[in-house]
Amino acid sequence: MVHALEEVQRLLKSTGRLIDIQPLIEAPLLQVHKENRVVFVEPDPSYDYEEDLKQADAALTHVIKRGLLVIEERSEFDFLTHGSSAQELLAFWDKASADDDISEDLAEQRIKEVYARVEEIRQAAGQGAEVALHERGRILRLKPNARNDEPP
Amino acid sequence: MTVRVDPENNETRALLNLVDFTGKRVLEIGCGDGRLTWRYADRAEHVTAIDPKAAAIRRAKENLPEELKGHVEIHQFKFEDFSATSKPSSFDSIIFAWSF
Repeated sequence: MVHALEEVQRLLKSTGRLIDIQPLIEAPLLQVHKENRVVFVEPDPSYDYEEDLKQADAALTHVIKRGLLVIEERSEFDFLTHGSSAQELLAFWDKASADDDISEDLAEQRIKEVYARVEEIRQAAGQGAEVALHERGRILRLKPNARNDEPP
Repeated sequence: MTVRVDPENNETRALLNLVDFTGKRVLEIGCGDGRLTWRYADRAEHVTAIDPKAAAIRRAKENLPEELKGHVEIHQFKFEDFSATSKPSSFDSIIFAWSF
């Protein structure tokens, strides 16, 4: 990750900017929505990347401390993915991670069980209820510090 | 109903609040199926979008809007392979999105 950020700095023009968009280090929430209200919330059972996020943050902190990149702006936002049912969302994630190395283990079974329970709650909430995954994202704008290989 | 990703446009708004893409050469690392790319690419001069995942790149190429053809390039690449063959100071903006 540090090497990737070093390469980003190399590929940016001196006037260029890196935009880094990542989820916050907190579990996303699986929600049931009905008439624009959240009627049920449960932490997403598939959240298993906290360590990856911490490592990415550590790498960014490292290159900033070295002075390769400087944070100019930071903000946060809500990021929601809506589905008409829990199964639809689950199928969407399966498709999105088609190239990932997914193991059929107990965690996978637990994810399916939680999504099945959320679907029961959605159906009990009545017509028009939907399921959403609510993540918090953060976005950074960073500028590269001057390099020696580019004319001023 | 199909799955809707960020229909509130919160991410797009946050992005466009931080960057003016007008006339910029952009590299997007981890473009996935192009979901975010389509939301800003019309403003940029040129976008190179890369992702190492074959299925995602296939979907991105299938979904590339007609009006963006010609100034959006989509390639299946790991970033380290892409950068190894790229010249320094090539891009005005680099987007690293959800690809920690």
